[in-house]
Amino acid sequence: MPVVSAFLVPGNPLPLLKEDNAPWAALAQAARAAGDVLRQSKPDVLLIYSTQWIAVLDELWQTRPHSTGLHVDENWYAFGDLQMDLRADVALAKACIDAASAAGIRSKPVDYDGFPIDTGTIVANAFLNPGGKIPAVVASNNLYHDFAKTETLGKLAAAQANKHDKRAAVIAIGGLSASYFDRDIDISHDHIVNAADDQANRTLLEAMTRGGAGALRDAVGHYNGSAKGDMGMKHLAWLLGGVGDFKRAVVHGYGATYGAGAAVVEFQLS
Amino acid sequence: MTQGKIVAGFVAPHPPHLVYAENPPQNEPRAQGGWEPLRWAYERARKSIEALKPDVLLVHSPHWTTLVGHHFLGVPRLSGKSVDPIFPNLFRYQFDMTVDVALAEACCAETQELGLTAKMMRNPNFRVDYGTITTLHMIRPQWDIPVVGISANNSPYYLDLNTGVEQMETLGKATRRAIEKSGKRAVLLCSNTFSHYHFQEEPEIPEDMSREHPQSYQGYQWDMRMIELMRKGEIREVMRLFPQWVEEAFAEVKSGAFPWMIAAMDYPSIPAELHGYGTVIGTGNAVMEWRLAA
Repeated sequence: MPVVSAFLVPGNPLPLLKEDNAPWAALAQAARAAGDVLRQSKPDVLLIYSTQWIAVLDELWQTRPHSTGLHVDENWYAFGDLQMDLRADVALAKACIDAASAAGIRSKPVDYDGFPIDTGTIVANAFLNPGGKIPAVVASNNLYHDFAKTETLGKLAAAQANKHDKRAAVIAIGGLSASYFDRDIDISHDHIVNAADDQANRTLLEAMTRGGAGALRDAVGHYNGSAKGDMGMKHLAWLLGGVGDFKRAVVHGYGATYGAGAAVVEFQLS
Repeated sequence: MTQGKIVAGFVAPHPPHLVYAENPPQNEPRAQGGWEPLRWAYERARKSIEALKPDVLLVHSPHWTTLVGHHFLGVPRLSGKSVDPIFPNLFRYQFDMTVDVALAEACCAETQELGLTAKMMRNPNFRVDYGTITTLHMIRPQWDIPVVGISANNSPYYLDLNTGVEQMETLGKATRRAIEKSGKRAVLLCSNTFSHYHFQEEPEIPEDMSREHPQSYQGYQWDMRMIELMRKGEIREVMRLFPQWVEEAFAEVKSGAFPWMIAAMDYPSIPAELHGYGTVIGTGNAVMEWRLAA
């Protein structure tokens, strides 16, 4: 079965926690619109990579069948609590662990009561998959993995989904430019922290809309040289590994989350 | 009211492996020992705490990273289960801590007074980070002394190192001012590893000490050089070398706890006591004490 859809969504919780703030409302609406498109693609599983799930030893994969509970973001706690509601496709996650290990990327399952699912995964799941109805395979961001190794992970996850005859949606969770306001701001006037980051973000988004995996890889290389991209934009590596290639992309929303760049992008595969 | 004072400062690193190896009732996973020299170092530090009888423990943790300002725990009692997102196999700990909110608020106000952004964390559902919990458990497992938890503002990474260190030193001065006005006997805890080069794969048995050694010879050399300077009371030289140490040993002290504590203690020239040193997944960890008062 093919990969049926793919999306880039921000992991910052502000659009979810405070949707009545105008600069963040547009991102929230865009994420919900992307959720509509995702459901229309009728995936059996979401293949998720979030820049905010940090690993340093081995590659970690979520295998807890159902993760629930409250989560409070360490930075944005004053805006409210987040509700975890994530179902794992355990069999597929275990197949990914085996495949990654066979590919030389040592991997381990994570199945612990109370495990703190990262903010990005919770936020994206709330927007795209309310109620956590569609099970997911969630992979961590090992800080020592580069773009190419992360692309390998996305590729093998998609291959395992295919092997299990599952329609997969590939979800890349993370931001664009990672520079932010390090002081209190009037959130009703939130904007990208500087013009250079804004321009770099727009250039990268244009490259996405034009389509083509190779061109986007090149664009990310340039982008990382001009803006401080979120975790080297490894979430896009996961997406590119998962989809192989794409025809074009639709930007559903672009804006700032406390000065950092954020976008909701639908990658069209055919 | 008697003027408050900082009675001691400790470098008190937070590898969760140490809690895991001790098998306390609060932690779910069970271990067959491991990292004994470091745990024995903490035994000595615990005796110091017992002798000092502080009213409050203040801990600065790199695993509560904040982007906008320096944050302080501001809920009187925080409890729950803390599962380490990096080492969930080792650390799933039921914590229950009493926060000295009055002192935290005073530290926050003094920090703002000195020109930094500072905030009180008032969300009762907040999950305290494993760095704070590990350091507090290892230094005082009874959990019978109120605490002040301080975040690690990201400035040393986001801005340049010197600017970030200056912020941490200012935070330290603000902390000292608040303590002095509080009338309390305070102990400072710098929750930092030194050399932070580490292995990237975990042994099948995490506590298999045949696999434990410094990951980096250069990191080890830096740790010994800095510990020796601290033992000689040459803290100004330590701070002069600080940027090079951070760069060449990939030292976790970059996150700010060390300059915060040293500045709060007003750069003590007394020799520090080394309670012990050991590696955890290859990182360098020292338990050290500066005793400022009886």
